[in-house]
Amino acid sequence: MSPSLWSRREWLQRAGGGCGYLALASMLAQEQRASAAAESLNPLAPKEPHFPAKAKSVIWIFMNGGPSHVDTWDYRPELVKRDGQTLADFDNKTGFFPDAVGGLMKSPFEWKQHGESGTWAPDLFPHLSQHVDKMAFIHSCYTNSNNHSPALFMMNTGVTRMGNPCVGSWVNYGLGSVSDSLPSFVVMSDPLNRGLPKGNALNWGAGFLPSIYQGTWMKPQGEPIDNLKPPAALNTDRQRAQLDLLATFNKQHLQHSAAESELAARIESFELAFRMQAAAPEALDITREPDNIQKLYGIDQKHCTHFAAQCLRARRLVERGVRFVQIYSGGMDNQQSWDCHADLVGNHRGFALEADQPIAALLGDLKQQGLLDSTLVIWAGEFGRLPVAQKGAKPGRDHNPHAFTVWMAGGGMKGGTHYGETDDIGMRAAVNKVSVRDFHATILAALGLDHERLIFPFQGLDQRLTGVEQASVVKEVFA
Amino acid sequence: MRFLPQLLCLRTACVTLICLSVVSSAFSQAPEKSKLPPDHAERMAKGLVMFEQNIAGVLKQHCVKCHGGEKTRADLDLATREGLLKGGESGPAVVPFHADESLIYKLVAHLDEPKMPSEADKLPDDVITKIKLWIDHGAPYDKPLIAGKKPPRDGSVVSATDRQWWAFQPLAKVAPPANIAVPAGGNDVDRFILAKAAEKGLTLPKIADHRQRLRRAAFDLHGLPPTPEELAKFQTDASPEAWATVVDRLLDNPRYGERWARHWLDVARFAESHGFEHDYDRPGAWAFRDFVIKALNADMPFRQFTHWQLAGDELAPNDPLALSATGFLGAGVFPTQITANEVERTRYDALDDMLSTTSSAFLGLTVGCARCHDHKYDPIPTRDYYRMLSTFTTTVRSNVDVELDPEKARAERQAWEVALAPLKESVTQYEADLQSKFNTWAKAGGEFTAEATWTVLELTDLKSQAGAKFTRQDDGSYLATGTNGNHDTYTATATTKLRRLTGLRLEALADPSMPQKGPGRAPNGNFGLSRITVRAGQAGGEIKPVNLTKPQVTFEQNNSSLSIAASLDDNPSSGWAVDPQFGKDHAAAFTFAEPIDFAEGTQLNITLEFQVNGQHNIGRPRLAVISDVEPNLKADTLPMAVAELLQKLKANTALTDTERNTLFDWWKRRDADWRARQAKVDEHLAKSPKGTTSILICGEGYKPMRHHSQGADFFEQTFILDRGNTDRKRDVASQSFLQVLMPAGGNEQPWKVAPPDGSRFSGRRSGLANWITDVDHGAGALAARVIVNRLWQHHFGTGLVSTPNDFGQTGAKPSHPELLDWLAGELIRHDWQLKPIHRLLMASATYQQASAASDEDASDEAVALFVHRRPQRLEGEALRDSLLAISGKLDPAMYGPGTKEERSLRRSIYFTMKRSQLIGSMVVFDQPEPLISQGSRPVTTVAPQALLLMNGPQVREWAEAFARRTEAEANSPTDFAPTVQRLFATSLNRPPSNVELTEATAFLEHESASYVRDGNNAPRTMALADLCQVIFALNEFAYID
Repeated sequence: MSPSLWSRREWLQRAGGGCGYLALASMLAQEQRASAAAESLNPLAPKEPHFPAKAKSVIWIFMNGGPSHVDTWDYRPELVKRDGQTLADFDNKTGFFPDAVGGLMKSPFEWKQHGESGTWAPDLFPHLSQHVDKMAFIHSCYTNSNNHSPALFMMNTGVTRMGNPCVGSWVNYGLGSVSDSLPSFVVMSDPLNRGLPKGNALNWGAGFLPSIYQGTWMKPQGEPIDNLKPPAALNTDRQRAQLDLLATFNKQHLQHSAAESELAARIESFELAFRMQAAAPEALDITREPDNIQKLYGIDQKHCTHFAAQCLRARRLVERGVRFVQIYSGGMDNQQSWDCHADLVGNHRGFALEADQPIAALLGDLKQQGLLDSTLVIWAGEFGRLPVAQKGAKPGRDHNPHAFTVWMAGGGMKGGTHYGETDDIGMRAAVNKVSVRDFHATILAALGLDHERLIFPFQGLDQRLTGVEQASVVKEVFA
Repeated sequence: MRFLPQLLCLRTACVTLICLSVVSSAFSQAPEKSKLPPDHAERMAKGLVMFEQNIAGVLKQHCVKCHGGEKTRADLDLATREGLLKGGESGPAVVPFHADESLIYKLVAHLDEPKMPSEADKLPDDVITKIKLWIDHGAPYDKPLIAGKKPPRDGSVVSATDRQWWAFQPLAKVAPPANIAVPAGGNDVDRFILAKAAEKGLTLPKIADHRQRLRRAAFDLHGLPPTPEELAKFQTDASPEAWATVVDRLLDNPRYGERWARHWLDVARFAESHGFEHDYDRPGAWAFRDFVIKALNADMPFRQFTHWQLAGDELAPNDPLALSATGFLGAGVFPTQITANEVERTRYDALDDMLSTTSSAFLGLTVGCARCHDHKYDPIPTRDYYRMLSTFTTTVRSNVDVELDPEKARAERQAWEVALAPLKESVTQYEADLQSKFNTWAKAGGEFTAEATWTVLELTDLKSQAGAKFTRQDDGSYLATGTNGNHDTYTATATTKLRRLTGLRLEALADPSMPQKGPGRAPNGNFGLSRITVRAGQAGGEIKPVNLTKPQVTFEQNNSSLSIAASLDDNPSSGWAVDPQFGKDHAAAFTFAEPIDFAEGTQLNITLEFQVNGQHNIGRPRLAVISDVEPNLKADTLPMAVAELLQKLKANTALTDTERNTLFDWWKRRDADWRARQAKVDEHLAKSPKGTTSILICGEGYKPMRHHSQGADFFEQTFILDRGNTDRKRDVASQSFLQVLMPAGGNEQPWKVAPPDGSRFSGRRSGLANWITDVDHGAGALAARVIVNRLWQHHFGTGLVSTPNDFGQTGAKPSHPELLDWLAGELIRHDWQLKPIHRLLMASATYQQASAASDEDASDEAVALFVHRRPQRLEGEALRDSLLAISGKLDPAMYGPGTKEERSLRRSIYFTMKRSQLIGSMVVFDQPEPLISQGSRPVTTVAPQALLLMNGPQVREWAEAFARRTEAEANSPTDFAPTVQRLFATSLNRPPSNVELTEATAFLEHESASYVRDGNNAPRTMALADLCQVIFALNEFAYID
C-alpha cells in the first residue's frame, strides 16, 4: 500500500461522498492507481480472471454422504449380468464396514435413455433426466479417502486433512465479489435438523486465506445471518442518526491521524453494512417470486419444499452477484444423507425425491432467465459407492473412493458430454481418470482462473488449491 | 514469495564453476561411475555436439516450458544438466549412457506413462532416436537451456554455504552503535533505530503525550483501556520514573498474562476440540491456556516455557503446571473416526502437526515442508525431518487427574463436609421418627398398593456371542467384562410367574469399570443397540416373537438414526445410542402389542444386537417387566428381594432383623418427607469437590485417548518415508535434529537424555528441548531471536523480521539484524525472562514516539524503520474486552473451563475454542482458525464487523450498561454535557471537543425525542446508549495511536 499517493483531502472527499467500496475501487482503477492499494483496502474488490471465461458464479449442490454412482448417473449393465456374484480379489477394507461385504448388486432402479445425448438415467430423477443435455458428466472421478470427513475435506479443499481453504474461498480470493451488499460466498446446510456435513464448518473454511474469504453459513433456523437486524431498541431513523454521527466523528478523527486509507475504508464499511441490512433479507425472500416459479421448484410439495427454497434462494443470490453458493443435500449421520449403508432403495428414493425437482427447476429457471451461461451448476458428492452390496435385511452400498460421477451444467460446459469411464462394474475409474485436483482445476478454468497461477504465499510456499502435484483441466467438458 | 538476491550472490561462485565445466562435472557424479563406459570421454564429446545441434532445440521447444521454465511440473527442472540428473517426483530423468533405462526416453517414446510431451502429439520418430543417442552419449549440456538458470540445490545435504544463512549464525556480539547518543527519554534500543534511520536521513519524532503513551501501553499489555484515574495519576507523577512505574504496574497485573497468552495461543494453534466430523470436545484442554497465562504472569523464563511445553511430563511429572504445558503438543486437529486404511497416515499427520508447530513456534522454520521432499529453500533434508519427527513417536494425548490447586481443594473439601453433616443428621433423625410408623404398617400385613412397578428379571441364562463374561450385580444387573466384541449379540433367558405382562424395560447402567463410566463399552462410553427382539411363550412350551411397540427412552442421541425407534428396525447401522450423555444410567421401555399371560409362568428370550458401530456394546444391562398397567418408563422398580419380603409379611411370617432392615430401606423411600430430606443430601453429595481436575496432556506412558479407530493409537517406530507415503517406508528414523543447527558432523548425543530405568517416557522430547535452547551449539540463538522478534512485533505492529514464523529463505530478512541479535542476547543475559525485554522495548523513545498526525509526509520506509508510527487496530479480543470494561460489565474471573456462550462477561481468552463452533464475534475480527501455527493475523475491514457493532445483541446490552454507568457517575439528570464528558473520559481518555460536544448533544436530543414519541420510559438512558454504541464503533476506539 502506498498511502502517500493519496492526499488526506482526496480520501476525505471520497469517503465522505457516500460512495460504496465498489465505487471506491473502480475509481482507483480508473485513475490507474496501483491495484494493490485497492486490494489491500477491500480484499473482496472484483478482480479480472486470468483469461476470459463464461462462468461468473457457481452453484455447487453437494450430494452429501456420497451418492451411488452406479445407481445415479453411471449406467453399468454388466452389474445386472453379474448380480449376486462374489467379486474376486476384493479388498474388504475398501469401504467402511469390512464385515458386511456382500456380492455384486445390480442397480435396483429402472434405467432409460434421455435427451439427444441418449444419457442413461434411473427413474430416481424424473425431472433431472429432462435436462441431461445441459449436463457435462465426468464418470471417472476418484478420491483419496474412504471416510466421510477426510473425503469431504478433499472434495472441498483438495486435501484430506482439515484446515485448508475450500474451492469457494479460493474463487473469492481470485475473483472478488460483484455484490457490494451481499456475502460473496454463501453455504446452505440441511434445514430439516439432520445436521451439518461431517467436518462441519471447516468444509467452507478459508484455511490460511484471510477469514473474509470463508463461506457465510446461512443458519437453517432463525435469522439466517448474524447481526443483520438492528436491536429491538433501534428503529431505522435512530440507527441512521447513529451512523451519521459516527461518520461525522470519524471524519474529524481522520483529519489528524495516520493510516488514513484503512480508516477511510472502515468508515465505508458501516455504510455497506447499512445497505446489507436491507439487501440480504430481500435476496433471501422467495415469496417475492411469482407463483409459477415457486411451483416450478416445488415449494408447494411437502417432500421437497425445503430444498426447493434453497435452490430458489441460490438463483436469487447468483442473480444479485453472489459468486459462490453451496447447498448440501442431506445431513450428518449415516442414512441421514446419501450415505446408503442400508436400504439403498429407500435412502436414494428419499433423497432423490427431495432434490430432483428443485435442481431440475434451477437448471430450467437459470436457462430461462439467461443466467445459465454465466452460472456453473455442479452436482457432486465426496465419493461413490461400491458395486457390491453391504449386507443387511435391506442391502445398501458402502463407500468407494475409487470411482464416482459428477456433472456440471451451464457456465460454458458442453451439455450432453460424457467424459471418462469406470470399469464394467463401476468399481474403479478406468478411462481418462480424473483426480479431485483435476476436477478443481476444471472448476477454476470455467471461471477463467488458472489453477497454477491462483496462488497465495504462505509458510514459505506459493500455496495452490491444486497443491504441488500435477493437475490438469478436463478440457473435453467445455463447449 | 521473495527470492533473496544476496543468497544467490553467495552461491554464484560455485554455481558458475559447475556450469562451465560440463564434462568434468559429469564425471564427478558418483552414481554414474559404476555404469561409466570406458570410452565415455569420447562419447561425451560427441554428445555435446548433438546437444548443440539438435537436442537443445528439441528440449527448448517441447519440454522446458513446463519443466523448468514457466512451470516445474512433477518437480522436474530440465533447464540444467544437474536438474536432469536430479530428476523429479519419479526419480532421475536420465541414466547417462543408458537411454533404455532413462525415464525421459521411455516417456517421449511412449513406452511408459505419462506419455510426453503432455497434451501434444508424439515427437517424430527421428527426434526420439536423436534423444536416445544423446542419452547414450552421456546426455551432456553445454549451457543451461534457460540463460542464467542455476542448477537446483541438492536439498539432501547441508553444505557450508547453507550454514551461512543469517538465521543460522551464532548471535553476533554487538553493542549499540557508539556514534549515536541515547535520545532524551529513550534507551539503547533507540541507538540501533536512529543509526539505521540516519542512513536515510530520518529521525525519531518527539515523545508522545501522557494520554497517547498510557493508552498505547495499556492496550499493548492488557488489551484494555486505562481508566481516567490512571491517566490522572500518570499525568501528575513528576518523577523521572513515572513512565517506568506505569510499565511496571501494567506488567505486574495479571491482565498482562491474559493479553499476551492470546498471542501465544495463535502460535500454538490452540483449540479445545478434535476437529473433523465429530469435533468432540477435549475435556481439560483449557489447562494449557491457563499454563500460558500463569507462566507469563510469573515471568517464567522462556527456556523453561519451551522445555515444559515439549516435555513437561518428563521434566516435572508431579507438577500439574508442567503437565498442562504439554497441551501445546496435543492442540492440533485429529480425526476421531479412522478407517483401517487411514490409521498409519493419520498417525504421521499427527506427528507432523507436532513437529511443524514446534518448528514454526520456537525456530521460525517451516520444517513441515520437508515431509515429502527435501525442503526447496531451506537446508532441511527430508532425512532431518523424519529423524526429528521420531522425537514424538510414542507421544499421545491423554487425560490425567491432577491437583491444580491443593490448598484451595483442601479448603473446599472441608467446607463441603461441614455443610453435609446437618443434612445427613436431618435424615437420620427423621428415620428414627419413621420407625414406629413402619412397625404399624408391617404388623398390619405390609399392605402395598399394587401400583405400577417394574420387576427386575432374574436371568436363567445370558450369553454373549463374542465371548464377554457377565457377572450378576446386587441390583439384578449384569456387568460385562473380558472380550468386547466388534459387533456382539447378547441373548438373555428368564422365566417369571407374573401374569399379564404388558411391557419390557431395558436399562443400560453406568459403571466405573467402563470407559467414561459407560454405559457402553466403546472407547467413548457409548453403545449402539441396533436391534432388540423378544420372544415369549409358556415356560417349557413354544416360544413366539413378541411385537414391541411405543418405545420410551430416557435419552437418545438423535431422533432418527440413533434413536430408540431405530432399535426396532431392520437396519443394522441404525439403533439406540446415547452420545454425549456418558457416565449416566439410561433406560428404554417397550409395550408389548398384546399382553403376555401364561398361568404356568412365562419364558422370555431377549436378544440384544449391537451392529451400529464397532465395540458399541452395552456394559451393564438390566431387564425388567411390568404387569397389568400401561408401561411407564418412570415407574418404580421393585427389586426381587423386596417382592419376596412383602409376600412373607402377607403370610404373617416373621422377618429377621436383616430382612426388616432391607424392607425398611425400601419402605422409607416411599415417604415424601424422607425423600425431600434425602434429596438435599444427594444434591450436596453430587457437588462433592473432587479435589482433582482432569486435564489434557500430551506425553508418553499415560493411557492414550481412544477414538473410533480401526487400528493402533501409535506405533513404536517412525520410518523415513519416500514422498511422505506410508506405503513407501525406508529406514527406521533414529532421533536427531536439524543438521544445519548442529556443529558440522551432526552428533545429536550431547542433547539426548537417557530416561531412568523403568520410566514411562523416552526422554526424546527433553533432548529436543535441550537442543532448541542450546545457545552455544544448538538452535538456541535462533530460538532467542524468534521470541524477541515476537515481543517486538506485538509492541510495534511488525516484527524486526516481518515474517515471525519464517526465518528461512522465503521469509523476510531482519530490518535491524544487529538490534535483533542484541535483544536476543539481552534475553539470554536476563535468564530468558520476558518482562525485562518488555521493559527495555517500552522504555525506548521509539516505542514512546508520538503517533503521526497523517501519512502525508511519511514514507513507507519510515514505517519500516520504526520512526513513523501508524495506529494499530485492536484485535477482536481486545476490542470486545474493552467494550466490556468501559461498560462496567467485565467479569475478571480467571482460569478454568471456558464457555461457548457469546453472552459471557469474562475476557475473550476464556471462550472455549471449539473448532466447529468458533465464536462469531472473534472470527469476524480476524481471529485465525486454530489449525496451524499463526505468527501474525491479517487485519481486514469488512461489513460484518460493522454489523456486529451496529446490531450485535451483546454490544447493545453493553452500550446500555455503559449508558447507565455513566449516568450514575456524571449524576446530571437534566444537562447532557457532563455525561458526554464522562463518556469520552472513560472510553477515549480525553474530553470531547466543542464540536463533538455540540454534535453529541444534538444527537442525544434527537434520539431521546424519538424514544419519547415511542413511549419509551427511559428516553434519556436509551439515547445515551445510542451514543455509547457510536463511541464503540469509532475509529478512534478501534485504532490505537
